Amino acid sequence: MNAHVFVASAKLELAHLNRNRAFVALTVLAAVSFLVMVSLFGLTGSYAPTALIDLDGGPYSESLIQSLEGAHHSFRLLPMSAADAQGALRAGRLVAIVTIPQGFSAQVERGATVAINVEIDNVNIDLTNDVQRALPAAIADFGRANRFPGVRVHMAEHDVWPRDTAYIPYLAVSALALDAMMIAGILGALATAREWERKSVKLLRLAPAPAGAVLGGKLAVAGGVAFAALAVTVAAIVAIFGVLPVSFVATLATLAACVAIFTCFGAWLGALLKRTLAVAPLLFGLVMPFYIDSGALEPTRFDGDRIWLIAHASPVYYAVGVLEWAYHGLHVTPEPVYVDLLVLVAMAGVCVALTLGSFARGGQR
Amino acid sequence: MGSPFAVEVSNVQCSFGGIRAIDGLSLRIAAGTVVGIVGANGAGKTTLIDMICGLVRPQHGTILVMGQNAAAAGPALRARIGVLPQETALYDEVSARQNLDFAASLYAVPRAAARIDEVLLLVGLLERQHDVVRTFSGGMQRRLAIARALLHDPPLLILDEPTVGVDLEARHQIWSHVRSLRAAGRTVVLTTNYLDEAEALCDRVAILRAGRLLAEDTPAALTARTGRCLEIECSPESSGVARETLERHKGVLRVESGDFGLRAYLGATVNPEDVVHDLRAVCTLAAFRTRSPDLAEVFRSLTTPQ
Repeated sequence: MNAHVFVASAKLELAHLNRNRAFVALTVLAAVSFLVMVSLFGLTGSYAPTALIDLDGGPYSESLIQSLEGAHHSFRLLPMSAADAQGALRAGRLVAIVTIPQGFSAQVERGATVAINVEIDNVNIDLTNDVQRALPAAIADFGRANRFPGVRVHMAEHDVWPRDTAYIPYLAVSALALDAMMIAGILGALATAREWERKSVKLLRLAPAPAGAVLGGKLAVAGGVAFAALAVTVAAIVAIFGVLPVSFVATLATLAACVAIFTCFGAWLGALLKRTLAVAPLLFGLVMPFYIDSGALEPTRFDGDRIWLIAHASPVYYAVGVLEWAYHGLHVTPEPVYVDLLVLVAMAGVCVALTLGSFARGGQR
Repeated sequence: MGSPFAVEVSNVQCSFGGIRAIDGLSLRIAAGTVVGIVGANGAGKTTLIDMICGLVRPQHGTILVMGQNAAAAGPALRARIGVLPQETALYDEVSARQNLDFAASLYAVPRAAARIDEVLLLVGLLERQHDVVRTFSGGMQRRLAIARALLHDPPLLILDEPTVGVDLEARHQIWSHVRSLRAAGRTVVLTTNYLDEAEALCDRVAILRAGRLLAEDTPAALTARTGRCLEIECSPESSGVARETLERHKGVLRVESGDFGLRAYLGATVNPEDVVHDLRAVCTLAAFRTRSPDLAEVFRSLTTPQ
């Protein structure tokens, strides 16, 4: 590769980005906004606001409330009056109303069976199911806590991992792979599409300089900016969720490989589309299926063989595999983490070689 | 001793999706001359230029540029060609200087900084070198693109419609640059839709139509080929009979109607006074004059079916 052409091309790309500082800032913002997006996704799926109307106030109702609070992460119990609860439910601010009836403690003391009235806004089956699962579990826990006769089975939990990983930190880490695809993809695609849009590709083809060096310089800058945007996202994960990587080296290697892969992928896309305007919508359309299919929301092996097989073609799958280990110490793919990392690095190498090689041949006509 | 021709196009054919853009074209361009390629839109000018640059491979025939096959042009040959594409292809978000810095790297220009100063001075943009290209007028952008084409001091310059879309003043500035290139002994191939431009700048003019070469010669020889022009002023009532008389005359090559009357192109052996005498016998003429045709008339006579 011709070093001075590489440097000149990188300087020109840098000058372009310097003239478009607002675009670069928006790119970094997009990386952080994806993090916010997945966090919101996690938030909306848990801690559903549920009204608690305690008409009893006795010792057993207090015990039941404790069991409800500890039973399922889906609940966020909000004690309120019946009138307020009804108003909030109708206004869509509540998922359900749990009412502990008057005389609950006395009836339980007498050994009677008491009905807990639950009114559910079943507009969303996912949240409805959460309530349907959580309430019987809470009642069973209430029975065990008060040593009621008849409950003879309880769960003896043995965790595979020494600690639980919260859903949002799990998603936030996998969002890094999504960010890499989005940001590096867009910057790589713009670097090439711009040449067609401005017709300067003709001049590049006419010049005696190797096209691979020209493209290499441009993509190095695009990749560098994408990496910087990812660094900001990593900082946001640390600052917002307090999640520090267990392995910085694995995190850096994964992000660097992702940036290389997706910058090259973007370069191909830009050369194919030849229009900068078409780049962002297409990439936005592509990233979500890649992301969802790659174990980003939960380990992909639970989703069935076909999806799992498709996921193996995606670099995001391997990136999520390494990142979840690098941050949380989790093994979310059946393959060992080092295999995920090796596949990712190999993919990066192949992508860079293919991209620079092909464009270089194109330049020689 | 090398070939005296900078470009030799031999029986070249080139089609795109069943449409023949260049059809059996042969053309030789002597080194150190300015040659204009003239033709209407779609005549094949840009395709011919792209083939000379080596961007498009002909399906048939060969193109030699400075003795080398253009279709297999390597970096060494490409380094000897300077191209101004139809679209200026400048990076408009960066400065003029940054554009030239990048071009200098692509062509490995020695003492690049000094050479960039030199070409910027030549095209009158030295003072605007740090301005963003987007702020330049169309004419300034063309001049900057010419500076870029000249940067590596190529012996062959290809200018694809160098003055399209620029104002009159910028056009004359560009003409002046082309004349200075000719004076410096460079070979310049330029395509243009403007016949006055070809007439003003070119040593030879090649006229293309539908991918074929209709004529190639000096502007003077081409105008001589069209014949002397006799302009006749007569009343509308007389023009019909005057036209018939002219068309019957063996020495008249072509007759056209004008606002004032009729325009007849006469063969080299015809005496205009004989033609006027014949006309006066059948109608009354208000006035008549003879002159040499311009290149536009040559072009029209060659490209318009009689």
